Amino acid sequence: MDDASPVTHHLIRVSMVRFLVSLIIGAVIGLLVGLYLGWVQFPVEFVNSPISKLAPEYRDDYTVMIAKGFQADGDAVGAVDRLRVLNISNMPEYIFQQAERYISISGDIADIQALIALSEGLGRTSPLFDQYRQITPPGGA
Amino acid sequence: MTTTPPARERPPRGSRYYRPRRAISWVALLLGVALGIGGGLYIAWQVAPLEEVDTEPWQLNEQNRHDFVVAIMLGYAQDGNLGTAVTRLLELRPSGDPIQYVADVACSLARSGYVDSASGERAIRVMMTFYTNQGRSGCADTLLPPVQLPSPTPSAGDATPTPPRAPTKTMTPTLEPLAQSPTPDIRVAPTVVPQGAFEVVRLEQFCDADAGGLIEVYVQNSNGNPMPGQRVRVAWRNGRSDFVTGLKPGQPGDYADFAMETGISYTVEMPGLSDPSRVITSERCVDFRGRSTQTSYRVVFRPAF
Repeated sequence: MDDASPVTHHLIRVSMVRFLVSLIIGAVIGLLVGLYLGWVQFPVEFVNSPISKLAPEYRDDYTVMIAKGFQADGDAVGAVDRLRVLNISNMPEYIFQQAERYISISGDIADIQALIALSEGLGRTSPLFDQYRQITPPGGA
Repeated sequence: MTTTPPARERPPRGSRYYRPRRAISWVALLLGVALGIGGGLYIAWQVAPLEEVDTEPWQLNEQNRHDFVVAIMLGYAQDGNLGTAVTRLLELRPSGDPIQYVADVACSLARSGYVDSASGERAIRVMMTFYTNQGRSGCADTLLPPVQLPSPTPSAGDATPTPPRAPTKTMTPTLEPLAQSPTPDIRVAPTVVPQGAFEVVRLEQFCDADAGGLIEVYVQNSNGNPMPGQRVRVAWRNGRSDFVTGLKPGQPGDYADFAMETGISYTVEMPGLSDPSRVITSERCVDFRGRSTQTSYRVVFRPAF
């Protein structure tokens, strides 16, 4: 027994080291896999979000739709009311900027005209807007 | 004769007897992977989840989903593009038929205070048109009368020959002879239940030909700082006008105004947020420079609490 004991102790120590090293390696691999799964493959999906958190393209869509509503009924107060949920600090400026941006990227003419109408309804205009007033959108009114 | 067994020889250090059979423990490795994945998911979902960006319409809360549906319908009412409207409705991932979903939202809005404003009612009617044209129905059909008739007919006792025009904020007030002033009319009690968030802290009359016949409205916070973007409503017997503070160029952010007509009684309120003010009427007056004009009013709203 006395002769075997150092060997046994050594083997136990080596096995423990082997176990711990394997555990750590596994944990690191697992952590990386877990982070990948949690952040990339299955990220947290938020629900019950406020409309102010909408992705920029949807915010733009929403604004255009409200602007079209303004085109139809001329109700600036109603339009401002509906856009307030976007938490915009300076609404006339926001609409004006979006109209200019749509013009700069050659956006849909009907969308631009709606934004121009709302921007001007809120007191902001630009010489850039002039030419769009004379255009009839394809197939549009 | 007995023979003794040979003594156990100690294997030399470094021999395979001193080494584990495998360099790694698969059990430990798998256990580590499992623990690591659990920890990684906990970190990714709980400790440091991704910041909410690029939210899509289906992720909106119920109220904002309704807002989005209203916007879709307003857009549809203007461009008449059914395909785009339905595509956008599908982005909300309604549980069933997207057009019936519009009917359900219209029903919900028709039951709420949303319908109290002309703008809200118009939006609901647009939604009703949309879904009835697609063969759907909803409770809004019964909650809102099918036809909204304008009510221009004055009562028999009203001395005003025609109903007052809806004044605009930029309208120049027109002086009318005193003889044409109608008898004071009776204000109808508002249908919106006041919530008491704001109250009129000052309502004063003044006479200034430079601002004749105006209702100057200021909406301020508790500290007296301007609150732009606040909806204000002026109501009179045959109509009302909603407007927003802070939109008038050259005026402070808490300011909005309304041009009164002589002899008409008005109330001022923040719809849904305050009680209506006392009735105010614009009459002829002479300002401090001796100029004949109409009386004006200055109304200041502040939070009630």
